[in-house]
Amino acid sequence: MSYIEEIPCIEVLSAVVFIVEGVKEDTRNPAAIESHLNSCPNCRAEVEHEQAMHILMQDVLRRSCDEKAPDDLHRSIHEELLRQVSGAGVTEVVTQISMTEISIEIDEFGNVEHREIQIEQTQVQRFTDDKE
Amino acid sequence: MASKDLVLESAEDRNLRFERDALVFMDPLYAAALRYTKNPEDARDLVQDTYLKAFNSFHQFEEGTNLRAWLYRVLTTTFINSYRKNQRRPQLAAGELEDWQIAAAQTHTSDLGKSAETEALENLPDSDIKRALHEIPEEFRMAVYLADVEGFSYKEIAEIVNVPAGTVMSRLHRGRKLLREKLTDYAKELGYSTEPKKGEKP
Repeated sequence: MSYIEEIPCIEVLSAVVFIVEGVKEDTRNPAAIESHLNSCPNCRAEVEHEQAMHILMQDVLRRSCDEKAPDDLHRSIHEELLRQVSGAGVTEVVTQISMTEISIEIDEFGNVEHREIQIEQTQVQRFTDDKE
Repeated sequence: MASKDLVLESAEDRNLRFERDALVFMDPLYAAALRYTKNPEDARDLVQDTYLKAFNSFHQFEEGTNLRAWLYRVLTTTFINSYRKNQRRPQLAAGELEDWQIAAAQTHTSDLGKSAETEALENLPDSDIKRALHEIPEEFRMAVYLADVEGFSYKEIAEIVNVPAGTVMSRLHRGRKLLREKLTDYAKELGYSTEPKKGEKP
């Protein structure tokens, strides 16, 4: 059988922030907290009040903090990003590889077959300067 | 022979991907920047710097992980490194966890008038809510904002702010408590009583 430790009110109340966050499992003894809450109406009332206050505070804060970025900030960031891409502060490294494969075959009748294969590869790497 | 991994994303493609995925968070980032810096000019600059930094290190961002959390991390780091030089605050002592847990346990709100506290909060104007947020210490304000407005978990906040998760919990607890105390004070100034009404039948 499992044994659930009895803990005092003070330990439950100190875990209220975890309960309110929905992470009671991250406390030292979640089973003991649960069991205490089932048998202690004062602590239960306290937790319920804190949960209600938490929801209310979230509503109030979200309602108040919903500023929109000014239009010219949208524009200015968009333009700055374009500038970054189109050159300023960007180092471009272009690696070009060019290979020519030449094969000459001469058959027993003295016919010469000459082939050239050109292989070209270009790789462009861009490095944007970090402003650290 | 050209393996796909060897082909670098072109700057134009990266720019498009960034504009598509990252710029949609500009409004919430701006609102957060306002809470961090407390003024619109600095908030603008902070958001702009954040996006430039994020763009320049976008190749380090792993696709499929949380872009929003990553942007908040860049915002927070940028703010801490460049915008708060003139606001030095004493650091909290180590061992704050035990202190706050004891303090938490000693705070019983039952004598404060619970329904009155709720009513006062609901009726406060937005300007008072923001004023209260701006008046609590920065590390508490950030934690409370990221948790209660942005809905980040305390473990995500630990990553964003770069402190241990236990410290975030402590800041959340203390920050919310401070904020409620401030709001209760404002409510009193506005004439809302947070005391239980005398002569009321139980």
